[in-house]
Amino acid sequence: MADFADASTPSPSSFHKRKIHIHTSQANQDINNGEAPFTPEILAPTPQRHLLESHVRQSWLRTPPLSPVSSRAISPTSTRAISRSPQQPKSFSSFLDHEPTEHGTAHGIPRMHSTESLNSRPKTVENSTARRFVRWTHRQGQRNWSLLFVCLASHLLKYCIGLGSYSGHGTPPMYGDYEAQRHWMELTIHLPTRQWYTYDLQYWGLDYPPLTAYHSWLCGLIGSLINPEWFALKSSRGIETESSKVFMRSTVVISDALVYIPAVFMFSRTWLGTRSKRTQNLAFIAMLFNPALLLIDFGHFQYNSVMLGFTILSVSLFAMSQDLLGAIAFVLSLGFKQMALYYAPAIGSYLLAKCLLLGPTIGGRLFIRLAITTILAFTVLFLPFFPPFAPLFSTTQCDHTDSSDCTITYLTVLDPISRIFPFARGLFEDKVANFWCASNVLIKWRVWAAPNLLIKASGGLTLLGFLPGVLSMMSAGWRLRTWQSNSSGESTTSTPIPILSLLPYALLNSSLSFFLFSFQVHEKTILLPLMPLMLLSSGAVPESTTFAWGALVTNVAVFSMWPLLKRDGLGLQYFILLGAWNRAIGYNPFKEPVLSLKSFVQLLSISVHIAAAVLHILELLFDPPSRYPDLFTVLNVLISTPVFFCTWLWSIKCCIEVSWALGGLTGSGTSSGARPSSRAASVVSAGDEGVVLPNLREKLDGNHKGDRARTVSLGFSHSKQRTRRTSSSVSFSRASGVRAMSTEPS
Amino acid sequence: MVAEATGVQSTVQEKPKTYTANLWPQNWNIHPTEWDILIVSTLLKVLLFPAYHSTDFEVHRNWLAITHSLPISQWYYDTTSEWTLDYPPFFAFFEKLLSIPASFIDPKIVDLNNLNYDSWSVVAYQRSTVIITELLLGAVALKFVRGAVDPATQHIISASLFLHPGFLIIDHIHFQYNGFLFGILLWSILMARNGNKLASGILFAVLLNFKHIYMYIAPAYFIYLLRSFCLSPSGQLQIKNFLSLANAVIGVFIASLGPFLLMGQIPQLLSRLFPFTRGLNHAYWAPNAWALVTALDRVLLKYIQRSSANIAINEEGIRSTSRGLVGDTVFAVIPNVKPIHTFTITIAFQSVILFKLWRNPTYKSFLTALTLCGYVSYLFGWHVHEKAVLLVLIPLSLLAAERQAYFRTFILASVAGIFSLFPLLFTPAESIIKVLYSFLWLTFVYTALSKRVYEFPKSLSYVILDMVEKIYLTGFVFLQLFVMLFPILSARSKHAVEEIASTDDSMAFLPLMVTSVYCAVGIVWGFIRLMFVYLNEETTYQGQLSTIQ
Repeated sequence: MADFADASTPSPSSFHKRKIHIHTSQANQDINNGEAPFTPEILAPTPQRHLLESHVRQSWLRTPPLSPVSSRAISPTSTRAISRSPQQPKSFSSFLDHEPTEHGTAHGIPRMHSTESLNSRPKTVENSTARRFVRWTHRQGQRNWSLLFVCLASHLLKYCIGLGSYSGHGTPPMYGDYEAQRHWMELTIHLPTRQWYTYDLQYWGLDYPPLTAYHSWLCGLIGSLINPEWFALKSSRGIETESSKVFMRSTVVISDALVYIPAVFMFSRTWLGTRSKRTQNLAFIAMLFNPALLLIDFGHFQYNSVMLGFTILSVSLFAMSQDLLGAIAFVLSLGFKQMALYYAPAIGSYLLAKCLLLGPTIGGRLFIRLAITTILAFTVLFLPFFPPFAPLFSTTQCDHTDSSDCTITYLTVLDPISRIFPFARGLFEDKVANFWCASNVLIKWRVWAAPNLLIKASGGLTLLGFLPGVLSMMSAGWRLRTWQSNSSGESTTSTPIPILSLLPYALLNSSLSFFLFSFQVHEKTILLPLMPLMLLSSGAVPESTTFAWGALVTNVAVFSMWPLLKRDGLGLQYFILLGAWNRAIGYNPFKEPVLSLKSFVQLLSISVHIAAAVLHILELLFDPPSRYPDLFTVLNVLISTPVFFCTWLWSIKCCIEVSWALGGLTGSGTSSGARPSSRAASVVSAGDEGVVLPNLREKLDGNHKGDRARTVSLGFSHSKQRTRRTSSSVSFSRASGVRAMSTEPS
Repeated sequence: MVAEATGVQSTVQEKPKTYTANLWPQNWNIHPTEWDILIVSTLLKVLLFPAYHSTDFEVHRNWLAITHSLPISQWYYDTTSEWTLDYPPFFAFFEKLLSIPASFIDPKIVDLNNLNYDSWSVVAYQRSTVIITELLLGAVALKFVRGAVDPATQHIISASLFLHPGFLIIDHIHFQYNGFLFGILLWSILMARNGNKLASGILFAVLLNFKHIYMYIAPAYFIYLLRSFCLSPSGQLQIKNFLSLANAVIGVFIASLGPFLLMGQIPQLLSRLFPFTRGLNHAYWAPNAWALVTALDRVLLKYIQRSSANIAINEEGIRSTSRGLVGDTVFAVIPNVKPIHTFTITIAFQSVILFKLWRNPTYKSFLTALTLCGYVSYLFGWHVHEKAVLLVLIPLSLLAAERQAYFRTFILASVAGIFSLFPLLFTPAESIIKVLYSFLWLTFVYTALSKRVYEFPKSLSYVILDMVEKIYLTGFVFLQLFVMLFPILSARSKHAVEEIASTDDSMAFLPLMVTSVYCAVGIVWGFIRLMFVYLNEETTYQGQLSTIQ
């Protein structure tokens, strides 16, 4: 705030100076403060935020195998030793980075030398509240403390949202989600574990996996320490006192603070490791104030942030090459809410592809370890339902026969499992913006087809839906495999594994396909596809396509939950949070003049926003006709579904592109330069996704074997000795950079 | 708006001519960051719509009904509700203005007999009027930045004023219109800063006719305007200035009180405005000097009862202690305080301050004297309400970045003062919000300002003082924990021992008493600090504001 007035638009000259400063002094800085991330000494004269270059550097600096010509597999210990060092995950953010391609050139270096791009940059830097805030805190020298401030501010916001109503407020006899969660706390603290999944199923029987049950138990225990009446068995049903509401709200805020916030912090520090602190903090803020999550968790009342937090944690752990811990985190996510299964294809295929990539020896070992860890983690989660804590078999009265002494014996552990996966419910319940509900307007699925067929159809479509993500992941893993190639095996040693960059797209793809095509989807479930999209767009620059998709889908996701939120009495909070969010990230679909729309996503965005606004106005002015009481809800579905569908298609496109860029250019290490560059040409010209470029460049550089060998040795020695870079290495990097450029088509 | 135009022209920094006399925000060059603050804070306030609101909400709704449905002659006589109109006429006119849209939105709002009406429409309407009228505060805060000696610092101070937790707690949750009223006060101060003393005086007269509590600081205005506007530096009476100011102020009062004067209702009006039937302390002791005296009395009583010393004890006083929350405060040991005593002490302190102001009538001196006048009245006044602490904190904020001593006083008084407002909100959800918000505000102000005013401690005594003050500030964390945990623990012990429920009432009063006394220590200490700085160092201890004449 020091210079509110003059801080916003630094003059081009000062901007320029700062950049130069970075290049000249960075090496020293890194040596001086030990905690600063490791930056290799071979620097090209480009600004910090431009990640193409940083990636190139990383590729040169890979630790070489013991002998360049050795066909010996790299031992897993060496891989993990590297992966543990904090600087290594850095290279990953480059995969997420999307450079704006305004001037038609996607090759980073020329852009940065043009003065006009330097001039145009600052104008777009500060177009959002969050950016201005981050900038101000950095100028105050509060890089890290500001995050604590932001966390506290988010808690304030959560409690302010919590002042409002919640799901099922004042609607006896069943109430809503709030009462369900409270009831679980009540029953878990009063009943033995074995009865958790069997007690009075008609009144909000527990139907979430055991971790939710344990969490409820803990919350209930603490709550009844404060006031036992809140969770008295039976008599507390439907309790709606002021203090019990505050306690329940606090459990969500605290669970969120314990799981989601650290996970997001970790994500911003690992995946965006090479980005500037500002971008990291900005991404952190963007993830923290996601309006959809805030409205559902702190308004409607649920604990989705815990489940999402565990998944983000596992993704961050993967980026740190801590695959086993990541797998455990994902099991926890699954154990909290079975909904995390939406991510399972992506996570599973990533781990499998990694095993594939590493080859039968190392990969196989990793596979076995992963399998054992996962099974163990699940076993621990379900431990109370196995002997000696519970009998192996339980019996129940069968209800369909006349003879009263008929009993069925089954495994006790099936109690929770049968509750978790309810196939007995319909194709969809409320109006939800997915394929089935939207097409139901035309085709009455439930009349037309038998439930069994519908289950199969939805299963099949879901499978088809997430197959592109899985397949692209597997094929990238296969093509990047190192165990057959007798070249230097560069991919093996590069940690983390390059296919990691595919993971967010695959997560988006699989969760969206579940959302669009699977069985029994709720409108709240849109939070799941939203999460990987937030991961992708949180670090993206505002001009990029990813950012546009992220902002659009967030808005539409919140909009698609409008009928639910309206029913909950959260209309005020809905509008406030949407407005605040778009202001905070600086998103305004109407900012661009209509005629200058450049991309499909902008066009989609502007039309969807107009449609949504019109629908809101109509709903305000008119009551729905008595013949179609659900008219506005159906219109809402019809507006939202196409956006989600397009996002799904976009995710497939991204998966394929990234996968191609990853695997297609390497082939075997001995391939000639001609084939890759032609492929590169098509990738560069086809996609505006900057994501392919770092990898592309890396592979292209890889073809200059002679150069690389020398560079590697240079880089290696530098990284060991941490000496100041020599002028020779700089000129060297420039030379090979230019050579890399020359292989790209003009 | 002629006044404002000339004011801006006479500021230190040169501004383009086109800048003057533009009231439309487009011409104000509002920076995106300023929009951010406005938007974020407004959205937060709107989120607080469903929050708890006190009886003041019904008070103001009732005033809407009175002014809308009764003729002006009945306004100060109506007793349909127990919340009779007891603000000066301008505020009544203001309510009349607000009642016009209200009657269109929901006619039940202005129905006189529709007592305790709190449907969504009236909540949304009244809360929005608070937010909208508070924009005056925001506009004035912005104007403070334009033409400030150090705009960067003034930015932070202005932001801290607009985002002050006092306004959030009292206006947006508890429900009052302080933001608007302090907007007028700050406007008047801004005019004084810009050298337009006539406008400053008029605005203050207007403010007095909105809410008469601002009489606390009227002496400072009177002396300042008399010395620096009506008299030349050499002491010559400036007839023209004097007459224009006198006429303007009288005009304002006639506009306000005239109708009631004609109807002969002035005695009735005054009896509404100044009810002298109340006790020394409010139900919850405002953390001022009398809170300390009362606490001392309670401690002495306990001591005497224990040691059975031979000292006369006022029986009335013992009953007063056991009553706790309600009724008058009557001392058991210490001689009782009468209104005349409080007035004597107040006037004695104020005259010291005013004498100094008379000698040195600069803007900065005026600002300090203004703060101190409010401070004295708050500390020693009769039946002071804890909300009146804003009268100290808001002018003090303007001095915050002056020098280290002012800044520390500001921090101490703000922390203690804002904490003393916490008991206004006793519902659990709002309690969390008030604590979080106040903490965030304090962090923001502290980190932004502390570096600017940092001074190296000159001697060991400074270091010790610094330590003690820090320990005192840390104590608030534990005080908050105590206040939060006490009801839970006492409820649990009540469950355990059901029989011993007789002491409950006095125990329920304990957190309030502890809060009041602890805050009073800080507020009194802040007063001593500020008095010391003003009387000893004000002329030598130069900061940014001293450049303004």
